[in-house]
This record gives sequence, C-alpha cells and structure tokens, in this order.
Amino acid sequence: MTKIIEFKDICKEFKIPEKRKGKWSTFLNFFKRKYRIINALQNVSFSIDEGDIVGYIGPNGAGKSTTIKIMSGILTPTKGECIINGYTPWKNRKEYVKNIGVVFGQRSQLWWDVPIVDSFELLKDIYKIKDSDYKETLDLLNKALNLDELLSRPLRQLSLGQKMKCELAASLLHRPKILFLDEPTIGLDAVTKLAVRDFIKYINKVWHTTIILTTHDMNDIEALTNKIILIGKGKILYNGSFDTIKNKYANEKIIQVEFAKAYENISLNGYELISHDKNVAVFKTLENTEFHTKSFINDISKNYDIIDFSVNSLSVDEILARLYKEYELQEK
Amino acid sequence: MLYNKYLKMHIKSSLEYKANTIFLATAQVLVFVAEILGVWMLFERFDTVAGWGFYDSLLMVGIVMTTFAFTECFARGYDEFPNLIKSGSLDRLLVRPVNIYYQLFGAKIEFSKFFRIILGIVISIIAIININADWNALKIIVLIATYMCGCVVIFSLMLIAAGISVYTIENLEFVNIITNGSKELAYYPLNIYNKWLTRLFTFVIPVACFNYLPLSYIIGVGNIPLWLCAISPFLGILFIIPCLIFFNISLKRYQGTGT
Repeated sequence: MTKIIEFKDICKEFKIPEKRKGKWSTFLNFFKRKYRIINALQNVSFSIDEGDIVGYIGPNGAGKSTTIKIMSGILTPTKGECIINGYTPWKNRKEYVKNIGVVFGQRSQLWWDVPIVDSFELLKDIYKIKDSDYKETLDLLNKALNLDELLSRPLRQLSLGQKMKCELAASLLHRPKILFLDEPTIGLDAVTKLAVRDFIKYINKVWHTTIILTTHDMNDIEALTNKIILIGKGKILYNGSFDTIKNKYANEKIIQVEFAKAYENISLNGYELISHDKNVAVFKTLENTEFHTKSFINDISKNYDIIDFSVNSLSVDEILARLYKEYELQEK
Repeated sequence: MLYNKYLKMHIKSSLEYKANTIFLATAQVLVFVAEILGVWMLFERFDTVAGWGFYDSLLMVGIVMTTFAFTECFARGYDEFPNLIKSGSLDRLLVRPVNIYYQLFGAKIEFSKFFRIILGIVISIIAIININADWNALKIIVLIATYMCGCVVIFSLMLIAAGISVYTIENLEFVNIITNGSKELAYYPLNIYNKWLTRLFTFVIPVACFNYLPLSYIIGVGNIPLWLCAISPFLGILFIIPCLIFFNISLKRYQGTGT
C-alpha cells in the first residue's frame, strides 16, 4: 500500500480578538485589539493509505474542519509538513486541487437558480474534462445516484437529500484521487443516508478513490470504514481500527428488567443501577466483569419477582460518548 | 472560454428573476434622471462653475457613470468579497484549479447595471459632441485612456475594500464613503472643490486622472502643463499596483487565518 496522505507535526494557531467589556469597549477595540492564541491543531501526524476510507471523528470544535481545510489547500498551517499525492497543498494549490474533490455538507457548490446540469457543465470547463470522459463519468454517476430527473431542475427546487446526491456527483466529475467529505449525511433521512453510504462505498471500489469523511453519525463509520482517526482539542487521540475500540467495550452490557410489581428501592450486588421507574429498572455491568445470564437471574430473583428482561451491548454512539469522556473531551 | 460559461450562467440566473431585474433597472433610470437634473439645474443658474461649462460637467457625469457601472457590473465578485468570505464561497473558489482573480471576475456579474452603462455612454456622446474641443487622434487616445483609467481606479478601490474585509469581516462603511464619495464628487470637475479635497482625490486616490486633468488637455485650458494632463490617465492606471499587492497580502492572510 502506498501512502497518499502524510501529515507531519502540523500545528495551527489562530489569533482570536478578545472582546473588552465596559462603556468604551467598542471604541477601544477599534484601535487596539487584544488577542488570544488558540491552538486548533497541535503536532498532528498521521498517514492514510491509497484507497482507504477513513473516518475523521471528534466532538465539535476539535479541529476537524481545520484539518480538512489544510488538506484541501484552503488554509496554511503555522508549522509542519504535509504531502498529499506528491504535493504540498498550500504551495501548489492550482495543480494540487485538480486531483481532489471536496464536499462541505452545509455549503453548496452548485448554482441556486440554474439547472444542475449547467453547473456540471461549468465544472467540466473548470477542470478541463474531455467530452468523452465527462460523458462516461456522468453516466456512471447518474446510474449510481439516480440523478436523471434531478439534472434538469435548479438547486432551489431540490430536497436536502437530492441536493447531497448532486453535490457528491459534482465533486466527482473530474474523478479525483482523493475525496474529502465534511459531514455528508447531516440532516438526511434514513433511505437517503443508506443510498449515500452505498454510493461512497461504490466509488471507493470502482475508482479506488481515497475517502476521508468527518461525521457525527457513528453508523456512517460503522457502515463505511474500519479505520478511524479520533481528534480532540487539537490532538490526535486514536488512530487505528474501529473494531479495537468496539471490542474494548464489548463486555459492557445494559440489562433492562421488568418486575411483576413496583418496588421502592432496588439494588443488586455487582451491578450498577442506572434508572428505575415503577416496575422497570435498568442495570449496567461493572467494569472488568463479565455478564453471566444464569447468575444474574439467580441473583435478582432472590429478592424480586421478575417478568421479563433484555440484555444489550453499548450502541456505537454510546461507545463514542464513552470515548470522549475517557479523553475528557466532553464539555461540562 | 471559461468566462463565456460564467457569463451564460449569470444570464440564466438573472432570467429567473425577470421582475427583479426590471425593477432594479427602472430604479437606476430614475436615479439617473435625478442626477442629470442636479447638474442641469446648477448650470441653469450659473453659466459656468470655476470656468467649466455644462457640457464639460456632463462629460464628467458620462465618464463616472460609464466606468462605475461597467466595473460594478463585471467586477461584482470583488465588490461582494466580504459576503464571499462570510458565506464560505471563497473556500469553494480556493479548491478549484483556476486562478483566483479569474474566478472572482466570474463569481458575480450584475446585469442590472447594464442599463447604466448604456446611459453613461449616451450621456458621454452627447457631451463629446457639444464640448468646445478641436479633436485630433491624440485627444481621442487620451479620452479612451480616461475611460480605462476610470475602470481601473474604481476596480482598485474595490480591491482595497475587499482586502480590508479580510481583517474586519464586517463591511466597513468608511470604505463606501471613499468609493461612493468619489463618485458623487467626480460628477463635477474636481478642481471646483476645496484645495485639500482636490489634492486628496488627485494624489491619494487618483480620481482626478479620469476627471478634470484629461478634460483640461482635451479642451486645452487650465494652468497645469498640458502634457502632464495628457498622460494623467496613464499615470492613474498605475494606482492598481499597490492595490493588487495589498489584496494579495490580504488573500494570503485569509489562507493563514481562515474564519
């Protein structure tokens, strides 16, 4: 596997003007501003193999967008080296961007008032795509995303899901080697989400496109990729397979129990009571203990009359929340 | 050519809002009538103002109107630069393999200004026919250079405003005062104003280079050496150099800080 993206000790500092308080604040701010330095990225290093799909995750404000902006050549880092596809993005911007595609989930690259196909034709000229290549690519995208009836309509008439499909197609017309997706499934309904995920997988397979996506939807990660890079407070916290993290929490179980009648106080040795409402209680296994169904039933039926119970593992969202908590990323 | 594509897209977009474009154009005709009436009424009371006649001033109006409207129509992307930053559209432009200056020209074309360009040209022609000048080839070259100088200087002012917006994010009103202020002032030959105002708009912002200086040469009046007046529009064009440098620095800074 060849490495297509290499990040070495990238730092990014922002100067944020500090607001003064008081009567003359606006006046004073105009003349002399105080600045506060924010370290958006601190010695971030990682590498990504060609043809990989990598999930780039972290809570809001962790530095995800900053990284994407540096990788797409929009921002220049304060310090550090970065080689992507043989280029330093912020140095040979014009040459470099020919081989990348970028989708910002909440900002469009298509024209609001003209049919989508016209926007596509403009991109064809911007990227100097050959007629035959353009036709072939559009055909493929059309089939994969069902764009047919959308192409003749202007962007303003499309639903959020339809817009995202067109955005994806637009960013792939020039067949980039690397595709950056900034929250591609945000706000989409279940069916469209699945379609978008399938499409991302499909493009990765047919064109061998390297894909980096940021998302808050952990199901995206689970469906699309096995590799994640976790970032928090400007530092890389974890870089590796998602399964490893999942296995780490695999032992933890959530047990919901339904009783025959309502109990006042419920407690059970060896388990933590999470919630209790009338005749339903939820327990959690303690850390480093394994769950045994038989001993659980024995223990609980000694003191309580139970009707039913169910055992669940942690959901991916809960795992992520746990991970954030572990690294103290959660805002208090 | 890529620019033709941009042009076609903008025409298609404006056709979606026919009523809006027509209203805007109508409003501009009304403003135009008011502006012309203002100049006409002044010269109705005084035959000449500081030695300049009605048609001299009318030529100034023609030049200002044509060049402002032309620049506002075709360089709208620079005019709207603060909005491009705010909406994140600038990031979009930066991930395209095309020169950023070229893309900014294509980013927005304002067709409602088209009417004003035509009105400006009509006014210019009326004035040119009626002013008291012995036309020769050199004078025609200077006149053409004057129009070019006007477009370049106004574009340079837009570059400064766009550059400043990188630092402030907000669209600062004082920048508007300079651009719109110079427009209002330049309806009359600039040397009728206070000495300091004249100097400001000659040496700091070279509005005079597409105003009374070339006019002095064309009519052959005034106490400034005529050869200097003749080359003034060419000198005025040089104003773009520091402005381009400033804009370039600002753009680099944007890439350094983002928003």
